Amino acid sequence: MTEKDVVMTVNGTERELSVEPRKLLVHAIREDLNLTGTHIGCDTGNCGACTVYKDGQAVKSCLQFAVQADGSEITTVEGMEALPEAGMGDSDLHPIQEGFKQMHGLQCGFCTPGMIMAGKALLEENDDPTDEEIRVNISGNLCRCTGYQNIVKSIQYASDVLNDREPPESPVEHEDASLETAADGGEPTTDGGETASDGGNPATDGGCSCSDGPDLTMDYPTGGEDR
Amino acid sequence: MKAAHFEHHEPSTVDEAVTLLDDLDDPTILAGGQSLVPTMRFRLSQPDDVVDINGIDSLDYLREDGDHLRVGALVRHADIERSALIDENYGSFADAAPLIGDPQIRNQGTVVGSVTQADPKGDWGSVLLAHDGEVVARGPDGERTIPADELFLFPYETDLRPGELVTELRVPVSGENEGSSYHKLKRKVGDYAMAAVAARVALDGETIADAGVALTGVDITNIPVPDAAEHLTGEVPSGESFKRAGELAAEASNPEGDEHGSAGYKENMVRVLTQRALADATERARGEGPAGSYGTDQLTVGD
Repeated sequence: MTEKDVVMTVNGTERELSVEPRKLLVHAIREDLNLTGTHIGCDTGNCGACTVYKDGQAVKSCLQFAVQADGSEITTVEGMEALPEAGMGDSDLHPIQEGFKQMHGLQCGFCTPGMIMAGKALLEENDDPTDEEIRVNISGNLCRCTGYQNIVKSIQYASDVLNDREPPESPVEHEDASLETAADGGEPTTDGGETASDGGNPATDGGCSCSDGPDLTMDYPTGGEDR
Repeated sequence: MKAAHFEHHEPSTVDEAVTLLDDLDDPTILAGGQSLVPTMRFRLSQPDDVVDINGIDSLDYLREDGDHLRVGALVRHADIERSALIDENYGSFADAAPLIGDPQIRNQGTVVGSVTQADPKGDWGSVLLAHDGEVVARGPDGERTIPADELFLFPYETDLRPGELVTELRVPVSGENEGSSYHKLKRKVGDYAMAAVAARVALDGETIADAGVALTGVDITNIPVPDAAEHLTGEVPSGESFKRAGELAAEASNPEGDEHGSAGYKENMVRVLTQRALADATERARGEGPAGSYGTDQLTVGD
């Protein structure tokens, strides 16, 4: 069956693809562009984990074919940090991302990319929504961990940042040092001292001294690339 | 699962689309795709040819034109939700739109696509029926209009012929003395209706000059209730007249009991929802200002 050439701007970069018409947009994003932040949750259009921001609105990328995105402009969760609003809060993250981190808006994190993109679509239209407006707006996104309370708070947090209001204190106690090691790929630890001194990267000091947790020296398969 | 292979056609004009639909062997039309894409993925439908009408810009309009409100084939549910024109005068449309699916679905899914899919639980069919609307179809033999009450034959089956493309649906312009509403009972946000009622009331002074009532999810298609409309015409709006209309609507309904409710329960809900919908429609017909500012907020979630 003939493939079709598709050009779309994804996270600010123009990408050219040749796709079978039957290929879903989410598969093109994940498999052809290797942007695996956009998730496939339910495969039926219910869960919203595949939500992307396309031509100014949130859409479910599992409910359209990639050929329908020809000429469109798409933002995925990977592009959030490069948006102009990124860095308005206390970190380099987009305020919505920072909100999810600070307000504990995720547990397993599977729904988070979709929640963030749905939140972005809402805040683009209305940067100061009520809790109820937030809830209506994320009604197409399912979360099976959080019970939604903290997700609503996370988006509210972003709204505070965007409106120059002081966002609420994070209910989570995290020490900055251990957080930074986590961002470096090391293991966040509770004792703090050791990781702070050695940079927290076990690969550099000859192996993992901890008895449990993943072996960070080995290459785990990433999926997607070899297909 | 992946959809079966298909050829993707992108006409840019209605003429081109109609020619394609005529030439191809059993093609499928893709508009919003929010129902079609999943059915293709589950291989419930495996068309060899898909005619994607999203590039036909001339089908993207929502306007009052002469005697009709005209909704082009590419108008999305979200366009209805955001339209000032709808908010002003078309309460039933304004009520129904935000109760469909979820925000992402509403951004993509089209009103005309939903009507032509003819799901008995689809909301727009009842709105169209209550307004005595019609759809305009273009086919190889030219254009024809199909009145709403002749459109729906069976679940997912309409009076449309192979090769025909619905270019718009339209309803008579809602005058200042007309009001309409849509009341929907569903289990959770974004769900299909267990039962829903569209109602329209046009007043002449103190009496009802014309009315429409139509039901969702309680028969094999969306159905109008001409008996209720007839009963209301000439009446002065009152609890008593709405109650009788509700009873007539319940009698006309033919619901099936399922895990969510018995047939009797649904019939009773039709009776109740009809009264509520008529009350809102009447209030909107009498009131000034946007239709949306009268009536029940069915969107409220939680406390």
